Amino acid sequence: MYSLLLLNGGIGARVAAGRPKQLIKVRGLPILVYSLIAADAVAEIDQIVLNYPDGWRDAVEQVVADYAIRTPVTYVPAGDTRHDSVANMLSSATNDDVVIHESARPLVSAADFMTLLAAPGRNVSLMLEIPFTVAPVDPATRTVTGYLERSTLRNVQLPQKFAKADLEDAHRRAAADGLTFTEDATLVATSGHEVRFIDGSDRNIKVTTPTDVLLATFLLGGRPEEAWNA
Amino acid sequence: MPDATPAPSRTLLVTGASRGIGLETARRFLQNDPALTKVFTLARPSHDFDDAVAELRALARPGVEVVRYDVDLGDRAAVIDVVDRVAAEHGNVDLLVNNAGYTKPVPLQQVDFADFERTIAVNLYAPFTFVQELLRRGNRFELIVNIASTAGINGRSGWLTYSASKAAVINMSEVMRSELAIYGTRVACISPGRTATALRRVLAPDEDPATIMQPQDVAEVIEMLASPVGRFVDSANLVVRQ
Ligand SMILES: NC(=O)c1ccc[n+]([C@@H]2O[C@H](COP(=O)([O-])OP(=O)(O)OC[C@H]3O[C@@H](n4cnc5c(N)ncnc54)[C@H](OP(=O)(O)O)[C@@H]3O)[C@@H](O)[C@H]2O)c1
Repeated sequence: MYSLLLLNGGIGARVAAGRPKQLIKVRGLPILVYSLIAADAVAEIDQIVLNYPDGWRDAVEQVVADYAIRTPVTYVPAGDTRHDSVANMLSSATNDDVVIHESARPLVSAADFMTLLAAPGRNVSLMLEIPFTVAPVDPATRTVTGYLERSTLRNVQLPQKFAKADLEDAHRRAAADGLTFTEDATLVATSGHEVRFIDGSDRNIKVTTPTDVLLATFLLGGRPEEAWNA
Repeated sequence: MPDATPAPSRTLLVTGASRGIGLETARRFLQNDPALTKVFTLARPSHDFDDAVAELRALARPGVEVVRYDVDLGDRAAVIDVVDRVAAEHGNVDLLVNNAGYTKPVPLQQVDFADFERTIAVNLYAPFTFVQELLRRGNRFELIVNIASTAGINGRSGWLTYSASKAAVINMSEVMRSELAIYGTRVACISPGRTATALRRVLAPDEDPATIMQPQDVAEVIEMLASPVGRFVDSANLVVRQ
């Protein structure tokens, strides 16, 4: 059985920049709902650890109640960084294996979770090939410093799954070394544990900008695959 | 969007099952759906309802239960009470047919506001309440069918309260269809034209019922929506008329 650590701490912070913070909605539903419903349909996930930004606990609990989420939910306050949030949530996980997802990726489906759980290995991330060229640069001098072989690079997606012990060990080492990571696959891998990846999908976008909200709205609504120019 | 796979066993709740389209729907599912395990029939107490339930029970295969709930759908507290009982005593409702309907057709000047409120309560608030209250109890629907009316597509002179209530049902169904897609629930709205039932006699007392569509015809469309091919029907509002 798995505990899902559902990151939800950044609610609205970036998308709603300049406006009062609010629960981001996609197609009129709080963005959090999509991941909750998808995870709730996965039998192997029997705990959801959900974090909330300061002041948002009641609103988040209300969403969970309104949508009658059957999987037991444990609430944890968001940390200062995503890295801290995962560390905090991890200590509330009751299973030996955890899944990490973020509510900002509403296109995840129950089938996506199940594919990840069925993948060989205990530490596995969804990752995506990079279809464009990236270059290493020195922003200070605005110069290009070399070359990166994109076939050996991946766009890190969520969800990911980890053996809780490996993830805890990685977070302990990072804390000891004073390091902060922006996601956990690279954190666990650099701590010496094997982390595998399976191919994700470019539909599984992370909604961070107003344009992303429009794109998610389009992908989640109607039948975008039937668009005339699809 | 996921499609809820049809359960190997499924339950059906039909409102307004004492006669007309609702009774015919319960009949057809009992006769033709091999996966059906329970039918919840709702109406106000009446001899019609007694006869209907007796007939449906006689029709049911062994092991298939026909459960009767006496309820006035204009009474929201009573609707919620039925939802409590269904959820506690029987578990999930897989197929919901919001069929019950009420009308007292009068011109605008004669509309009694309390009657307008009752029309909206029975035709709009009751279907909404079944869906919302069941969802809140963790119910996962496979299919919801809301019965509107062609009178909800175009306003009809003399039918203000009914037309308005049915227009709202059509619109509400579109929203439900969109919002409940996250569960893989399909939501269909059917707008029948004139159908030979007691309700039609209220709207058109002088018409010969033999000349118009029969309740079986509408029930057959509902049955089709719940059949495997029904998942390919992708219209927000199905107009069914002669
Ligand atoms: N017939 C048509 O031409 C036509 C056309 C378009 C749409 N429709 C719609 O089709 C649906 C079915 O109507 P029908 O033609 O089959 O009419 P019907 O034979 O008169 O049946 C109406 C059903 O609704 C139930 N009902 C009405 N008020 C109720 C209340 N307050 N509480 C509980 N149940 C109530 C009735 O039960 P009790 O009265 O026994 O409680 C009866 O079972 C309705 O939504 C109607 O608007 C009908």
